[in-house]
Amino acid sequence: MQTYNDVAGAIFDFLLAPFGHDFALFDLVLWPAVMGVAALQVYKHVSNQRAIARVKKQISMHLLEIRLFRNDIAQVLKSTGAILVKNTVYIGHNLLPMAVMLVPMVAVMVQLVAHYAYAPSRPGSVELLHLTLAPTASVSPRDVSLKLPPGVTLDAPAVRTADGQVFWRVRAEQPGDHVLQVSVGGEIFEKGWAVGGEPRKVPVKRLRSWEALLYPGEAAIPSGAPVLSLELGMNVRPLAYLPDGELGILIWAMVLSMLAGFALKDLFGVTL
Amino acid sequence: MGIGKVAAIACATLFVSSSSDSDSPDAHSPENPGVFIMGVDGMDPVILSRLIDTGKMPNFQGLAREGSYQSLATSDPPQSPVAWSNFVTGMNPGGHGIFDFMHRDPATYAPVSSATRAPEKAGSALHLFGYVFPLSGSDPENNRGGTPWWDALIAGGVDVEVYRIPGNFPTPESKAKVLDGMGTSDLRGGFGTYTLYTDAAVEKDDPKGDIQFVTVHDLDLDGTPDTVTSILRGPPDLFHLEPGQVPREGDYLTIGLTVHIDPVAAVSVVEIAGQRVLIRQGEWSDWVEVTFDLLPMGIMPVSGAVRFYAKQLRPQFQLYVSPVNISAAKPHTPVTSPDDFVEDLFAEVGFFYTQGMPEEQEALKDGVFDEDDYLKQVALVQEDTRRLLDLALTRFEPGDATFMYFSDIDLQSHMLWRHKDPKYPNAPDHPAYDAAISPGHTRDIENLYRDVDAALGEVRRRLPPGTLLIVMSDHGFQPFSRDVHLNAWLRENGYLVMKPGKTTGYTFGDDVDWTQTRAYGIGFNGLYLNLAGREAQGIVDPADADALMSEIARGLETFTDPDRGEGVVLRVDRSAEIYSGPRIGEGPDLLVGYNVGYGCSDQSTLGEITERVLEDNTSRWSGSHLMAAEVVPGVLLVNRKLSSDGHDLTDLTATLLSHYDIEPLPGMIGEPIL
Repeated sequence: MQTYNDVAGAIFDFLLAPFGHDFALFDLVLWPAVMGVAALQVYKHVSNQRAIARVKKQISMHLLEIRLFRNDIAQVLKSTGAILVKNTVYIGHNLLPMAVMLVPMVAVMVQLVAHYAYAPSRPGSVELLHLTLAPTASVSPRDVSLKLPPGVTLDAPAVRTADGQVFWRVRAEQPGDHVLQVSVGGEIFEKGWAVGGEPRKVPVKRLRSWEALLYPGEAAIPSGAPVLSLELGMNVRPLAYLPDGELGILIWAMVLSMLAGFALKDLFGVTL
Repeated sequence: MGIGKVAAIACATLFVSSSSDSDSPDAHSPENPGVFIMGVDGMDPVILSRLIDTGKMPNFQGLAREGSYQSLATSDPPQSPVAWSNFVTGMNPGGHGIFDFMHRDPATYAPVSSATRAPEKAGSALHLFGYVFPLSGSDPENNRGGTPWWDALIAGGVDVEVYRIPGNFPTPESKAKVLDGMGTSDLRGGFGTYTLYTDAAVEKDDPKGDIQFVTVHDLDLDGTPDTVTSILRGPPDLFHLEPGQVPREGDYLTIGLTVHIDPVAAVSVVEIAGQRVLIRQGEWSDWVEVTFDLLPMGIMPVSGAVRFYAKQLRPQFQLYVSPVNISAAKPHTPVTSPDDFVEDLFAEVGFFYTQGMPEEQEALKDGVFDEDDYLKQVALVQEDTRRLLDLALTRFEPGDATFMYFSDIDLQSHMLWRHKDPKYPNAPDHPAYDAAISPGHTRDIENLYRDVDAALGEVRRRLPPGTLLIVMSDHGFQPFSRDVHLNAWLRENGYLVMKPGKTTGYTFGDDVDWTQTRAYGIGFNGLYLNLAGREAQGIVDPADADALMSEIARGLETFTDPDRGEGVVLRVDRSAEIYSGPRIGEGPDLLVGYNVGYGCSDQSTLGEITERVLEDNTSRWSGSHLMAAEVVPGVLLVNRKLSSDGHDLTDLTATLLSHYDIEPLPGMIGEPIL
């Protein structure tokens, strides 16, 4: 998991933001468009193009039947049923290419989210640092402590909950890429905090399970560690006309890649 | 390439910051310097003069010296909704139709809010899958008639911004940028229902808030209770209520809430709606947005915003939650005109109190808050006001007209008067004076005046030269030490007759013998005849009304407090004689103008008939202005020399219009002061 994140991170850190994070527009148009084109190629070679063309033609035929025999209820019902069946067949033809496309598309979108869904916290802002102990951990929340770097202060005492969570309210006094250190039974876990400065890829959360693949901005927590997750409330990037942060980036990337796919399908000779 | 171009343009639209202002080009005359109005609810001329004279209000002193300072006649009755409606429309209640905080329903004799014109009748509904879908009916409308001055100014090409104007909710359509103030409901539809989670007893038997008794569980069995789970109530569950049905306790939408308390430190984490806030004991949280789903799967979410106050975590648990304010980020119902003005405000200042009277005086009245808790919350409201004032001043340009409302002096004069009479330094202690608490709060009201002075200093410093600056209040203040139960007086004097076997009860319901009752009271100053042909069970012949009103007025004006030997009522006015306009008939027949220190009790205001006629007011609601208008004038300061005095609120409306050479609208009764 960590190896994958390291490799993918190295590749996309190189590819993304060639003109800097201020020019998010470049990446947010280019990469969804590339995804759309790549998806077309996958679709063309993995799907049964002839079968898809055939089933689409059959659906058109049944639609025509409904229009022609709209006064014949029995025929309309029969044609409607046939359309439902053919639609199911059509969706079936799409399952394999979708499964093949899913992995690379998610990989790209995860990187776009990591780079553009969040912004550095503003100096002076107060955020919640949240640690969840693994259910199997032998340490108690009382054995957890926090060490802060210069430029970050504790804004309130920690809250240790009965179900193995610890919360701290921390204040960013100075800009910088700070590293907070949490000691769990003597074992140190680091958490990055990007404060102030230019837009950049910012660390959000460290996770232990497969979900760590979705947050490549920071190292995954090793399996077997007593910590399940370590998160810091982050400043989501506002996106006009779209939901802020992750959801907005995901919607944008999906819609734009689909638009690119539909716009270029004839050019690449693909039947969708 | 074509696609790329389209996408690039689309991206540029989407990702460019939405800071562009959609204002149309300035239409106002650049020669006109514009006007800025500070509306300070409840500022009293006697208190202000004393603070000016002792050098504690340097900015007011400067403005008075530079321009003019005089008292300003208030409305009759001197109640905020009435007074602000006079100012907004330039009419008296006979024109705008707001006669009191409370009106009455002549069909049921029940009190109803004066702010809203309820739909004539409930619409029909479709019942489907356990849900109730309304098929017809209409939304409540604002009951204020007339034309607001801002609409006249907008029509005249003036850019207008109005911040927190009372009595503007439900929001009438307008092209002027107006943020609603007093009268704006919370998400539950009331004027501020707080929630208290506690494992301790509460002071009052009938608190106004939603008191939720909880148990602090010891989840990890370490001997220290650590976790509380409960619910927060939001808006009424409208799709499970019949049209027109009044929601009961179980008829509100809820979301879950969990509180984790640290086993050692006095600090907690509140988890609600997927969000977490960490608050120390004695600390307020920032705003937390909460969403309630009217329909499944998030099809129809309703957003609100709350702040948490960890009053005490141990040994007793008391977590206070503010009323669920309509979210400034995603209001489900307009709190501004145009609807999207609130988006501008939210983008500039973030969340703010949208609830009309944001100072949580109900919690103080109920004893849930002590004075320190209350003042801490008042400071949050003041912070909101400062941010909105800063925004208003930043946006103000020569030629504009801007109004900014300040609520603090009014509400705190109501709540804190008992500690030390700020108007009469040698006054005897108020019946609600508390020797254990009051000495620590003798200067609270004075401090609020000084805060407004600081705001005025900021306004004077930042306004463009030549701007007309008006500082005004809707009324002044007096001590409120004696409760008058008007309905009990009417009963004692034979005007209100109870059914056999009853001496107390309510005007609505089955307690009053309407076949013998000639008059009843609802509202803070209102007295109605049980008029035949108007009231559902009216018996007073319209031909006899005049004589009856004279008789009641004489009785009230000679009504003497047996304990103090003072007259209780200064004078009684007839609506038909003091009002003008088409809506006179909707109001009370008589207006009871109480003497200084006296006021209608809450019970009588809401139609209750109590045992006693007079009693000491031991409530924390210890200052008031719901008396005769002449004992509670407001203040008027202008940075111009005035050549006359004796002005009232409607004169200011006329002044605003004349400042922009706009003719008075039909029904306006004031005269320009300049």
